[in-house]
Amino acid sequence: MTSNARHRRNLLIALSFLLPNFLGFLIFTLGPVVFTFGAAFTNWDLQGIEPLRWVGLFNFATLVSDDRFWIYLVNTVYFLLGMPFAIAGSLAVAVLLSTKIRGLVVYRTLLYLPSVTSGVAVMLLWKVLYNPDFGPINHLIETFLSWLGFENAKGPTWLLSTQNLFALAVERLGFDSSQFGLGAREAIILMGLWGAVGGGNMLLYLAALTNVPRELQEAAELDGATRWQNFRNVTWPQLAPTTFFIVVMGFIGGLQGGFEQARVMTGGGPAGTTTTLAYYIYNKAFTEFQMGYASAVALVLFALIFAVTLINWKFGNKELNY
Amino acid sequence: MAAENVKGERARKFAAHVTLWVLAALSLLPFFWMVLTSFKPLAEVESPNPFPTEWHPENYRLVFEQVPFGRYYFNSVFIAAWCTFLVVLTSSMAAYAFSRLQWPGRDHVFRLYLATMMIPGLVTTIPNFSLMVRLHLLDSYQGLIIPAAFSAFGTFMLRQFMLSIHPALDESAEVDGARPWQIFWDIILPLARPGLVTLAIFTFMGNYGSLFWPLIMVKSEALRTLPIGMMYFDSQYGRQTNVLMAASVMNIVPLVVLFVVGQRFFVKGIMLGSVKG
Amino acid sequence: MKLTFAAIGVVLILLSIYAYRTLPDPSAGGKTRLVWVTDNNPVRAEQVALFNRLNPDLELVIDPANTDQQKVIVQSIGGVGPDLFDTYGRESAEAYVASGIAWDITDRMLEAGIDVPKVIWPAAVPSCVVNGRVYGFPCNVNANAIWFNKDVFDRSGVPYPKPGWTWPEFIEIAKKLTIRDERGRAKQFGLYWDFNATRDLVYQHGGRYFDPTATRCTLDSPEAIAGVKLSHDLMYVHKVAPTPTEEAALSTQGGWGSGGITFLMSGRVAMAYGGRWWLNLMRKQKGLRLGVVEIPYAKERVTVGGARCTFINKNSPRREQALRFIKFLASREYNELLNDQADALAPLMSACYTDRFLHNPAHPEEDYNAVWREVVKNSIPAEFCPFLRGGEMEPINTQLDLVRGGLKDPELACRDAARNATARIRRNARLIPHLGRLYRELTGQEP
Repeated sequence: MTSNARHRRNLLIALSFLLPNFLGFLIFTLGPVVFTFGAAFTNWDLQGIEPLRWVGLFNFATLVSDDRFWIYLVNTVYFLLGMPFAIAGSLAVAVLLSTKIRGLVVYRTLLYLPSVTSGVAVMLLWKVLYNPDFGPINHLIETFLSWLGFENAKGPTWLLSTQNLFALAVERLGFDSSQFGLGAREAIILMGLWGAVGGGNMLLYLAALTNVPRELQEAAELDGATRWQNFRNVTWPQLAPTTFFIVVMGFIGGLQGGFEQARVMTGGGPAGTTTTLAYYIYNKAFTEFQMGYASAVALVLFALIFAVTLINWKFGNKELNY
Repeated sequence: MAAENVKGERARKFAAHVTLWVLAALSLLPFFWMVLTSFKPLAEVESPNPFPTEWHPENYRLVFEQVPFGRYYFNSVFIAAWCTFLVVLTSSMAAYAFSRLQWPGRDHVFRLYLATMMIPGLVTTIPNFSLMVRLHLLDSYQGLIIPAAFSAFGTFMLRQFMLSIHPALDESAEVDGARPWQIFWDIILPLARPGLVTLAIFTFMGNYGSLFWPLIMVKSEALRTLPIGMMYFDSQYGRQTNVLMAASVMNIVPLVVLFVVGQRFFVKGIMLGSVKG
Repeated sequence: MKLTFAAIGVVLILLSIYAYRTLPDPSAGGKTRLVWVTDNNPVRAEQVALFNRLNPDLELVIDPANTDQQKVIVQSIGGVGPDLFDTYGRESAEAYVASGIAWDITDRMLEAGIDVPKVIWPAAVPSCVVNGRVYGFPCNVNANAIWFNKDVFDRSGVPYPKPGWTWPEFIEIAKKLTIRDERGRAKQFGLYWDFNATRDLVYQHGGRYFDPTATRCTLDSPEAIAGVKLSHDLMYVHKVAPTPTEEAALSTQGGWGSGGITFLMSGRVAMAYGGRWWLNLMRKQKGLRLGVVEIPYAKERVTVGGARCTFINKNSPRREQALRFIKFLASREYNELLNDQADALAPLMSACYTDRFLHNPAHPEEDYNAVWREVVKNSIPAEFCPFLRGGEMEPINTQLDLVRGGLKDPELACRDAARNATARIRRNARLIPHLGRLYRELTGQEP
């Protein structure tokens, strides 16, 4: 058989295996991506009330001049605040678990439960937990505060409050000192921390830690290093690839997240404080059916994620190659 | 000096255990509260005491009476099962093509798959939804299953698995006269079983809890999945926190069971997801 | 391995058979089910029951959960839309027609002997007739008049208002009925004023929101300004109606809830500008003594008339059966029922010129139905500007909101609204090609 004929035969065989998946890939993944790129430059509104036409950069100009877009962008970035704590927490737990401890599997299972069950049911649970009047979280806080001597102290109103730790103003870009406190954003971040610390990142760190050569650590101990110095100078650099991966995935996931929390727990409020770009896109596309505009926002989000990933790559790779 | 070290070691181990217990308790506390509240009568939901003074297991029956919870359950499991079946089948076939077969353009196409994995899902839902509208697949099982039945991630993960299978196996089978289809079914797939199981577990659990797609596709009550049903329950009967908690418990039980039973696949799977091709 | 997959496949196919078999069937029980997307008004149940009784092979059900205009359109395009849905005015009617889901039933209705634009109240025509073609039939038609609580009048010894009264007379009466305590806080107001009725005042003063081509906003005309000013002054100058803040305070005082209807029923206000459909709630309070009189008119005897109409989904496989519901809306039985229920007025003009309409034996105290007929007869539909769809009315709405809150002088607000809205009209005409064409056709000029 000639080389060309062999190539063709191989291609046919491969196609027979590849086709179902590839077809689906074209229709439901690649095609839509290309489509969205185009749709963002039109006035496409699924209802067909106005005839479809090319609008060039109009959608992008609109979203740039729309205050709400920037507020939602700030919200999206705000929710990333939990990431360093989540990563540090996962690492700390992994370190604890890696000390050849008995019952590792039991601990690992219990700690992973919040992550594996995450979804609408658990979010509804947390919505009840955060209830300012009869939720157990405020019960505990108020009991603790009155034990400290602050009688009649009330816990924060959590999901109903627009307050936040950065005193961001409500419905405009800026700061407002009356908005300092614990509010809906913090509630969601804390819930996220609860779910993330024992989650997949912990498993990744655990695996990576077992791959750290013991000789290096023992050598450092012999040199008189304390446990902390040992960790910082020997273990931590060994974990760099894992950390890098976790950070990149964290950004990618975090920037496109927030939809479920907003839809299930807060409806994007109060006053739009928990609306992320993902939720904004959902509303524009599937409640108002302004597909063209929503596509533009989606593209901006994608560009943002791409840029952040690139930055991480450049920055991270420098650290990795030594 | 050695004795001090040993004492320090034991103290450190003890401290580690205590910390881990505290963390495990924190992880479990919300679930604990959820289960306890699901047995309370409505009047006790607001009380600071987490334990019910009278036990009301009929809250669980109430869930089924107030909404067609059984249908929601069936729908979630049914749709997730179909998606899992299709994903595992098509992904393993595609992964075979990417990893065990030689053909022109193979690596370019695979890089294309990789590239699209970084694109946020939101970007594809808009055109997919309008496609469903045009094809009149809104509010139908087909519309819920088919778009979710193709996964670039699944292909990627199984390819990793298959790459680790010794290539010599293929060649000796070929020499024996086996066709690629036979090699796939009788040699490669059985060896890749851990990968298949892992993918199946992840896909099932992902589809079981999927909110976005069913939310925009489903209009009639008979097609609601659990996440939609839970939200509907919350908006209609949310005041009855005890019954809501019973519904939530029933919702997450399959996830917990699947996880406990298939733990090692989980761990392996997450590891694999992070290894770059 | 093959065996496992095959076995799983078989199980899934069996489950699928079960899943599809157990989906609800629109033609269960031998009847064809029609889905009507509309709001959950309690009077609807009786209307639906009447239709189902008269059409035993059909089963009409209501779906109040998917009433959003956008949802209706997208679902209908996607083949899962309702069979019947409602419009609330010219804008929604035109949107439904433009999206292609409204069925043109002009000829079908003529065949049945119903010339829709001629038999319904004129104010309802734009809600169901688009570009001369008929797409639906109104469910009810409403215009507003002054409700007054006779007991409140009797308490203060004020004689009941008479038709043909002037605004100065009105204000004088309302002042007598506004009672404040020593601190100046009002315990009772002469009038409950819904600021949305500013439009009524603008119209009756001879003003309009737009010029006849709808290419310019005319809120800055002296007539329109006079109307807006009166609306503002009722609350802030004559102080006979509660401002938004006072209204909020009024509702927390008495546990009766808020809104003009409940205030009137509880006697916290003596008069309110509302519609006949208020009776749905007010009939529940026995012993309530009410009267109705037309609002004073400044220049033109005109009110704003509105109608809710039902359209048929063109893509519905059951549209022939749905047509029977539309014909039902034009039937004597339905119109009589609607008038009896007092859910505003029946859509057929002729149904309101019967003795039964004037004197409902079940409610002899309602001796004012002739007034309702007059206001609906003299009502005109709210203006619609095709250049300012949906959210594009914002330049006007924000200014009026400021007036309502007492934060801006009415004349200034009107001038700003007119200037900004006209600019917005021209901007939209420049940006959107088909609007640009329309603009040029209407004015012969470039936007």
